[in-house]
Amino acid sequence: MAKILIPTPLRQFVEKQDSVEVSGATVGELLSGLTEKYQDLRRHLFNDQGKLRSFVNVYVNDEDIRYLGKDATPVKEGDTVTIVPSIAGGSHGS
Amino acid sequence: MIRIENEAWDVMVAHARDTYPNECCGAMIGSTDGGGQKLVKTAVVLENAFRGEQGARYELRSEDLLKAEAEARRLGMELIGIFHSHPDCDAYFSKTDLENSCPWYSFVVLSIQKGEFHHANSFLPDADQTRAEPEELQYPR
Repeated sequence: MAKILIPTPLRQFVEKQDSVEVSGATVGELLSGLTEKYQDLRRHLFNDQGKLRSFVNVYVNDEDIRYLGKDATPVKEGDTVTIVPSIAGGSHGS
Repeated sequence: MIRIENEAWDVMVAHARDTYPNECCGAMIGSTDGGGQKLVKTAVVLENAFRGEQGARYELRSEDLLKAEAEARRLGMELIGIFHSHPDCDAYFSKTDLENSCPWYSFVVLSIQKGEFHHANSFLPDADQTRAEPEELQYPR
């Protein structure tokens, strides 16, 4: 089991918990397990094509999975997975 | 509707003025009633991490957002919004803002004209980053 930390705005979809323990060997399996259990959460993390939305970053023990194995990043017992939005912007490109 | 209390507002405006002519950014912490009413009680200044000319761009570091969320938890409140400034232009939600937004938060934009606060607006972007609805914003005047 690994622990997934849930950002505040999404806790309403996971029975107001701040973390959820899920089984899985990879980040992809964990997130699938999480969104199968809490189906209302799915559209907030994945687009209609089933891809993680572009603003959703996932960390395994403080390491960004984009620089590891992305969805296939292995997860061990006791690891902590964090969901963090990526946010930027600016007046450029009005 | 999002309402910003005096103390938080002073922090936001001061940060936007201090960083002028660059864009500033930060997090807004407070409470929600679950029905769309939000109250910002504290503002946390965050570093603009955009690598390049910051006069028209900002970027938040994920670790800074995590720290802001931890601060919200410590205060028994929630991270409910993100703010940033638009130096010498209006407080609109630009294409760049939209394409790099997140629908989980309110986005408050402060227009800073010639170094002084001019006006502000709040927006609620959608999950596909294709449109942002204006959100009623109340701030001290």
